[in-house]
Amino acid sequence: MNLPYYPGCTLKANARHFEDSAQKALAKLDCELEEMKDWVCCGTVFSMTTDDLMLQLASIRNLLRAENQGLKEIIVLCSMCYNTLKRSQDFITRDQENLDKVNKFMYMENLKYSGSIEIYHLLTILKDRITYDKIKEKVKTPLKKLKVGAFYGCLLVRPEEFAIDDFESPTIIENLLDVLGAESIDFPYKLECCGAYQTLTKQEVSIKRSYEILKSAHNSGCEAIITSCPLCAYNLDFLQKRIEEDFVEFVKLPVFYFTELMALALGEKWSGEWSKLHHVDPEQLLRDKHLI
Amino acid sequence: MKKIGVFICHCGVNIKDTVDVEYLTEKLADYKGVEHIENYMFMCSDPGQNLVKEAIQENKLDGVVIAACSPTLHESTFQNAIEEIGINKYQLEIANIREQCSWVHTSREEATRKAELIIKTAIEKLRLNQSLEPVTAPLTKRVLVIGGGIAGIQAALDIADGGYEVVLVEKKPSIGGHMIQLSETFPTLDCSQCILTPKMVQVGKHKNIKLYVNSQVAAVDGFAGNFTVTINRKAQYVDPDKCTLCGDCTDSCPVVTPCEYDEGLAWRRAIYVPFPQAIPATFTIDTENCLGFEPIACGECKKACEPGAINYDAKPQTFEEKIGAIIVATGYDLYPVENMAEYGYGKYPDVLNGLQFERILSATGPTGGEMLRPSDGKVPKEIVFVQCSGSRDPERHLSHCSRICCMYTLKHAKLYKHKVPDGQPYIFYIDIRSGGKRYDEFIQQAVSEDGVVYIRGKVAKIYQEGDKMIVHGMDTLTGKKMEICADMVVLAQGIVPSEGVHELVKTLKLGVDDVGFLIEAHPKLRPLESLQSGFYIAGAAQGPKDIPDTVSQASGAAAKILALFSHDEIYHEPIIAIVDEDKCSGCGICIGTCPYGARVLENGVAMVNDILCEGCGACISACPSGAAQQKNLTDQQINSMIKVILG
Amino acid sequence: MNAFEPKIVCFLCKWCTYAGADLAGTSRIKYPPNGVVIKTMCSSRIDPEHILYAFQQGSDGVFIGGCHPGDCHYQTGNYKTQRRVLLLKRMLKQMGINPERLKLEWISASEGNKFANTMIDFTEKIRNMGPVPKLSGKEDK
Repeated sequence: MNLPYYPGCTLKANARHFEDSAQKALAKLDCELEEMKDWVCCGTVFSMTTDDLMLQLASIRNLLRAENQGLKEIIVLCSMCYNTLKRSQDFITRDQENLDKVNKFMYMENLKYSGSIEIYHLLTILKDRITYDKIKEKVKTPLKKLKVGAFYGCLLVRPEEFAIDDFESPTIIENLLDVLGAESIDFPYKLECCGAYQTLTKQEVSIKRSYEILKSAHNSGCEAIITSCPLCAYNLDFLQKRIEEDFVEFVKLPVFYFTELMALALGEKWSGEWSKLHHVDPEQLLRDKHLI
Repeated sequence: MKKIGVFICHCGVNIKDTVDVEYLTEKLADYKGVEHIENYMFMCSDPGQNLVKEAIQENKLDGVVIAACSPTLHESTFQNAIEEIGINKYQLEIANIREQCSWVHTSREEATRKAELIIKTAIEKLRLNQSLEPVTAPLTKRVLVIGGGIAGIQAALDIADGGYEVVLVEKKPSIGGHMIQLSETFPTLDCSQCILTPKMVQVGKHKNIKLYVNSQVAAVDGFAGNFTVTINRKAQYVDPDKCTLCGDCTDSCPVVTPCEYDEGLAWRRAIYVPFPQAIPATFTIDTENCLGFEPIACGECKKACEPGAINYDAKPQTFEEKIGAIIVATGYDLYPVENMAEYGYGKYPDVLNGLQFERILSATGPTGGEMLRPSDGKVPKEIVFVQCSGSRDPERHLSHCSRICCMYTLKHAKLYKHKVPDGQPYIFYIDIRSGGKRYDEFIQQAVSEDGVVYIRGKVAKIYQEGDKMIVHGMDTLTGKKMEICADMVVLAQGIVPSEGVHELVKTLKLGVDDVGFLIEAHPKLRPLESLQSGFYIAGAAQGPKDIPDTVSQASGAAAKILALFSHDEIYHEPIIAIVDEDKCSGCGICIGTCPYGARVLENGVAMVNDILCEGCGACISACPSGAAQQKNLTDQQINSMIKVILG
Repeated sequence: MNAFEPKIVCFLCKWCTYAGADLAGTSRIKYPPNGVVIKTMCSSRIDPEHILYAFQQGSDGVFIGGCHPGDCHYQTGNYKTQRRVLLLKRMLKQMGINPERLKLEWISASEGNKFANTMIDFTEKIRNMGPVPKLSGKEDK
């Protein structure tokens, strides 16, 4: 199955193990992520006001180019890109005037955007199109009941219209983890914000938020948590050494992208290149669990 | 030709100053049909009314037009006056030349001209008015009360004491509603069961009250004053007359199931008595959980029953009752905790709703009145109460205020503190609504004497960590986020109409609002009746309310029915629709226009049910052939009024 | 002296608009005297034929007052009125009568001010429109 794919910037840089593990995992499922051409950064922020169009442009430009390449849909891995693209798409489809205004800025493109692109997160595709049954079939090395907390963060479930599952109590990631042979742990902070971009301006906020999330995960019995967002991964993974400094009793937890564990369960070998991009060492836990 | 008398009132100077009454008296004397015309200072006064009566008698008048103030004020005054001397009261028309003329126009010339037109339209209408008698139908003086909570109980007792028979239908095995589950009631902290059970016993014993429990109303046929009600009663496996409440049956029953009376916090058997003071005082078999008797899977209870009260062959029964008026008192339920996603979807045993907490407080409850939490029986030292849980939240849950939660939450906090003196209650609130008598004093006293801490803000999230419930909330007065590690949480869940009310109102053809509360005829002036003739409403079925208001409403509804029963017939305004059968083609368009179901097709001709017709006129303007008309407001009358206005 | 003064027939429902007009009276709010009232129990009593008859007889404007949607004393009467008026306006256009000469307004018993203002505005509008054109057709029996 061919999946037209929008990577977003970070998946080519700090989160390239997210893309790599996704490609490898999907290969085991007879699927391929086919990257669209000429994509640009999505902008990563959504304009809250209807007269501030600047923040929509990058997003729409991507969708326009996808349309011009003959694509009907794009699959996204990064939660932030997913949220931004989806909201921009909604912005121009709910009011023709918005679409017209945005199109006026697209003079450098060949054609105007007609608003036809559907945007999906890989998790939705795994559930609805590839199906868990197929995934279960292809699982070669189940994850031996590794206790994993599914961290959704905010962008996969807010706002309500764009949530990939029930926004108060989603289970889409847990269901996937269970199929992969892990033991999914529902922990109370799984929908809380990690602090996002505050990490640049007021890092103490992100430190505190990430601490609460990781503490909650640990207290609920998680041995690791997974995420789908490079920004969450940064806050939750990279900041752990800062959290350690501020909070004495803090216990570190490895942070995985869900595709890394998926690749592992489907029989792919763990790559040392992936470990290099982690901050909290993931390999010790995987070794302890005899997963590598 | 009808001989018409016209009387123009000066209303002191109210009319006279702006409208030239003398000119009108002269001008209209020549108008077609006007036999007598005069003007007077105050027509509504005794001398004024006598003028009318004398003029009628002297001139042998057939009808009168009174040109004066709005009909809302004195139409009935003059109607009564002419009835006294034998003139049908519908041979009277009021020309409103005050509120809609002299008081709103400035030019004397223009006001007088308009007054002339107003009086002429009244004359034209009166010309074709028929003498009408109120529609009557026989009245069955028996009342059906649906619902055996405090509202139904009070209404039933009031009517029964008034000398009329009441049929009380309750779907549960016992009457008592939710009030019997309560521990104490605010603000007096009366023991709820102590004040309710005497009334329940009275209902059980009253010679005028026929009680059906485990029963539901299946159908209501007929119309106001003449209903035929079909009641379905579940099979009575235990004969209430033989049951001695010894309890041997329940001891022998192997099935254990959650107990409804204790809101799922305790257990009962499949053969059980809902609570010790149940009326009727009998055990009952819960067939959903019983192992069954077709074939007999167990049979232990029957063996154990010495009086031989148990009969597995009992069948459900249907009863028909003739009824004159119906009171709907179906009460309320709590908005389910299972809907509160942010508070755990009801999966945490130590997050309770108000009724569950009442059971814990109650001496007859699952903990014998001791303050213990459901999960591990420990005494909760820190307890959080969440007001407005599900209420006042139009985006997610209910948009209305449930009215009683502020008061009962405080009552809970107070009673908790009495039982756990070193405990700390916190109450998260948005506002405090304590408008009843001595309600606010109750609140203030609890804050100052019982150390109840009020935090203004909503609770965002509740989850479990270890053996504590973590409550995330906001203190909007200080602007700080709050996190409380509580041992127990009580949610003041919103009040919603009783389960099953939507099906019931379809059977009764009553209106409900978007939440499911019954709609009253007028929210201010007619809160006890439905727009449907013959139906009355009482208690929380109409909207969330506390016990004093419920009792008032129930007694009020009963009083209205007693007034109705003081006549031998039921009366109805005769300004209703009629059909000229010769002109009716049976097209049936009128049938669907009637909001009251008063229009039916019979033998290919549209008929009007006189008692049900409220006289709106919708069917008349829908009738393509003009076969339908409204009595004393026919198309001919309207057209002649239009013509005279346009001169 | 021969300035055109419009003649307006007002159909008011007893429960809401008629009471609202009374309130305008008790509040002594002034408005022009061009409209004369015919009271019905409900605005749904008003047949489009009555409205056409009024125009035919020379009414320059017709005003219908009913209860706010949801508040009809007879539950659904005002909805019927609204549908009829909307449809009738289309027909009036075809007959050569400006549909603006027919006005439907929801006025509750507490809106005395609204009644008076509506009368003022409507009268002025009709005055500016001039007399209603003559409708040909048979007289009602």
